[in-house]
Amino acid sequence: MRTRKSRASRDNGLFGLAAVAFGLYLCFLVLPLLLSLKSSFTDENPLRATSGFVGLDNYGEMIHDDQLHASLGFTLILAVGVTIAANAIGIAFAMMLNRTNLSYRVMRTIAFLPQVLSGVIVGFVWQTILTQQGLLNVTLQRIGLIDSPIAWLGSPNLALLSIGVVVTWILTGFTTVVYLAALQGVPVELYDSAAIDGATTWQRFTRITFPLIAPGMTISVTISLITVLKLYDVITVLTGGGPANSTRSTALYIVKLAFTDNRFGYASAVAMLVLAMSAAIALSVTSLLRRREVNF
Amino acid sequence: MIRKTMLATCVVGALALTTACTSAGSGGTGSGTSTLTYMTFETPSLNSTFWNDSIAAASKEAPGVKINRITSPSTDRDGYAKQLQASGQFPDLLQSITPSTFAGAGLLVPYDQTWVDANFLLPQGNALKGKVYIPPTNSQIIPEVFYNKELFAKAGVEPPKTWADFLTVCAKLKAAGITPMELGGGDPFAASMPLVGVLSADVLGKNPQWLQERYAGKVKFTDANVVTAVEKYRKLVTEGYFDKGALGVKYADSITQFTGGKAAMYMMGSWFLGSVPKDNADNFGAFPVPTDDGSVVIPFAVGGSMAISSKTKDLAGATKFAQAWSLAPGNLKALIESDGAFPMLKGKTLDDYKVTVSQVFKDSFAYVTDENTKVASIGWASNDDAMPPGLNDQLYAASQALFTSADVKGEMAKLDTAWDTATK
Repeated sequence: MRTRKSRASRDNGLFGLAAVAFGLYLCFLVLPLLLSLKSSFTDENPLRATSGFVGLDNYGEMIHDDQLHASLGFTLILAVGVTIAANAIGIAFAMMLNRTNLSYRVMRTIAFLPQVLSGVIVGFVWQTILTQQGLLNVTLQRIGLIDSPIAWLGSPNLALLSIGVVVTWILTGFTTVVYLAALQGVPVELYDSAAIDGATTWQRFTRITFPLIAPGMTISVTISLITVLKLYDVITVLTGGGPANSTRSTALYIVKLAFTDNRFGYASAVAMLVLAMSAAIALSVTSLLRRREVNF
Repeated sequence: MIRKTMLATCVVGALALTTACTSAGSGGTGSGTSTLTYMTFETPSLNSTFWNDSIAAASKEAPGVKINRITSPSTDRDGYAKQLQASGQFPDLLQSITPSTFAGAGLLVPYDQTWVDANFLLPQGNALKGKVYIPPTNSQIIPEVFYNKELFAKAGVEPPKTWADFLTVCAKLKAAGITPMELGGGDPFAASMPLVGVLSADVLGKNPQWLQERYAGKVKFTDANVVTAVEKYRKLVTEGYFDKGALGVKYADSITQFTGGKAAMYMMGSWFLGSVPKDNADNFGAFPVPTDDGSVVIPFAVGGSMAISSKTKDLAGATKFAQAWSLAPGNLKALIESDGAFPMLKGKTLDDYKVTVSQVFKDSFAYVTDENTKVASIGWASNDDAMPPGLNDQLYAASQALFTSADVKGEMAKLDTAWDTATK
């Protein structure tokens, strides 16, 4: 009787806590999302008290918005490039760090550091490295590899590459930890059996490691993609979207539309597009990667 | 026990939600004292101490007004003010915003014209449709061409008067192994300075009403005279008069490089005067952006102090405080010395501000006080010549794009499209 009572008491407590969580979720996620959706059908301007319903006009405008297309193109190229690089490097790092002694544990912590740093801080640090008179150019000049400084952030292609490197550096900390966790779930006996059967290192990687870390890969690839699709802070600090808007991500474009052009309604419509696009990409990638997950 | 647990959980939840969902209110009066929010910004020279001291001084002239200072997280005051407006927290007083952005939405109240006329040299300097929303306390030339006298002497050149002379000077400097022009192309606004210079001098110099005519749809950026002016900037690029990696140079670095003698000239707003090294100030001079016929055209922008919100609960108190702050010479002292601002208070000389300024400041200030052709600095005007929202960004982008692209007409067409979108 006492057990049943205390269980009921615990359940009610949990129900209360769940209600709080649900309330916060409604307040901070669902409500803003619905407000944004509503705004996307209006000509809302932050400086005007009233706004008018414009139907699907904002969504129609997106079809002809060259600046939006350019920002989407940049964001997608960056997302694909960074996701591939960060995951490949993450797997390599995880395999190197998949040991138990103290020095490897310290190195794991170091590898994760970029992930815990603020994007703004990372941006400023890399800016001092990549500017015209930055550490990288000075070093390359001193060792005689270049005669004059390279505009790492000053030409569209190099700026894209530089941002890609910085974001990969940040995300690699995360992917490394995910793959490390996945690797620690792979039974050692499988490697022992493979060794007895005469499998090479490459065969052990492709036939055992790679299939068995697939669940980790699903998480890592999906989160990497989503992170880059909504990237704002690092780019703002590093290039501000320049030169000539060539590195303006869609998130930067949304902020510009809302707070420079005063077009909250249109900015909300673009935000809805990014949301739908992120959800579609995440769902596709997740379902695609899940197909190759192996259970044992 | 169950009820207690439920109750506690619900109270905590309700408190959390209430706290999260409630936005902070501003203002309010009580026992004859009103509290007004005042949005400021901070720079190395206009730091927290400056604002606190200036507020304390102005508050003495406005008894009964208590100021709650809030600071814009960046120098983009307009952007922050819009965020505050969008969240229902529009400040009572807003320092150095672009009034045209907010006045059109009825968010600002104009100052009493009699007071403005009585106290400022150019009472209509930043007026919008004849109304003044920020006291015209100071002005800037945007841009002028600063030069390094030592490097000029080394190349055997003198400050040019015409555009042809200017190109000759650039060529001689380059031939002498000196980078003719510094450009902080990594920061869009700094990248735009040469373009702002040639457009203001060439296009507005010949037709000061050009921006008004653009609003009326009578002229376009793709017009031949505008394209010709922009091609002057392209020529500076193609002739190699800027460092080829200039788009990777941040604004702060461009100042360091120019003052460090890495380039001979620097087109920048007169706020650069605040960065002229004090121990070597005599080595720097300034001249206006040269025109084809050598006539002096000054791209000019009248700035000011603070705007007053139309939503303020204490308009009289806010006005009293704003007027006191705007007329305090001590507040302008810091702006003159550190920001190169040219004071515009009536009946005052530089000595009245007790400032220490360089000769290049005095020479530049002379362009403001002399009789010459003053035109709006395109992209920087805060009066009726202010461009529509978003156009500045497009102008900056065009400046950067034309560093690598020869498609002048294409970039100008983008400006026309953006203008038409912003004003439709």
